[in-house]
Amino acid sequence: MPIQRLSNTDVRPIDVVDPGTDIAPDTDRPWIVLVWNDPINLMSYVTLVLQKLFGYSLEKATELMLDVHNKGRAVVSSGTRERAEFDVYRLHEHGLWATMQREDA
Amino acid sequence: MARKNKGPVTRIDASSYSLNIDASDRTTLNALLDQLRDVLMNDSSSDIARRLFPAAYHQDELHEQEYQRLMRDELLSSRLASLSLTSTLLERETSSDNIVLTADELDALMRSINNLRLVLGTLLDVDEDEFEAGLNEDDPAYGQYQLYSYLGWLLDWVVTVQTEFN
Repeated sequence: MPIQRLSNTDVRPIDVVDPGTDIAPDTDRPWIVLVWNDPINLMSYVTLVLQKLFGYSLEKATELMLDVHNKGRAVVSSGTRERAEFDVYRLHEHGLWATMQREDA
Repeated sequence: MARKNKGPVTRIDASSYSLNIDASDRTTLNALLDQLRDVLMNDSSSDIARRLFPAAYHQDELHEQEYQRLMRDELLSSRLASLSLTSTLLERETSSDNIVLTADELDALMRSINNLRLVLGTLLDVDEDEFEAGLNEDDPAYGQYQLYSYLGWLLDWVVTVQTEFN
């Protein structure tokens, strides 16, 4: 676009209707991925899978594994719905019992 | 099955490992993998199938149906590919009981062993506390429990060899 035309453009401000921020759009609410406790998967195996899939340190992966073991479940990742589906798929591929849900569900 | 003092899996270098289990154990594992393949291909409704293909969406049936429609076949293909690779490496000709594995082959072996444990553990309705209390030789399923225990021992070594140098 020629510079001359730009400089002649009418740029008077217009009124913008503020949509408000009390209620976040549905798509803004992140999804979380949970791993659930089960009596079959070895604790060492769960720790390794969490390190391998998410790049967690041994300490972080062990902490999450112990949450799964002691509390019954742990949130291992969060993000968009597509990202959560991908993470759940990879966890299922490795035999872990994983589900996803809205963060505040 | 004989258990060796030395671990059945050792690390050779940064990208290769050695699996050392005798021929009879390899034959048994391959027979189990054949059975697992049959379960994966033909069972879609039992507790075992539900454990191998768990729900992705927690209490969300609509999204869950869509997820399974799109992803179940992909998960099945991934499992079958791991099984196929594992079967092939277990049948590899060796002059000793040692089989050299790449990192990808070790990963396939690990996931296949874990899948076998999921099936056996579900079949036996394994309870962590009860299992750790010891195996009962009078139990009709004693052989299956022994197998489950052997797979756990082997899997733990496969995991250990990948973590001890991290």
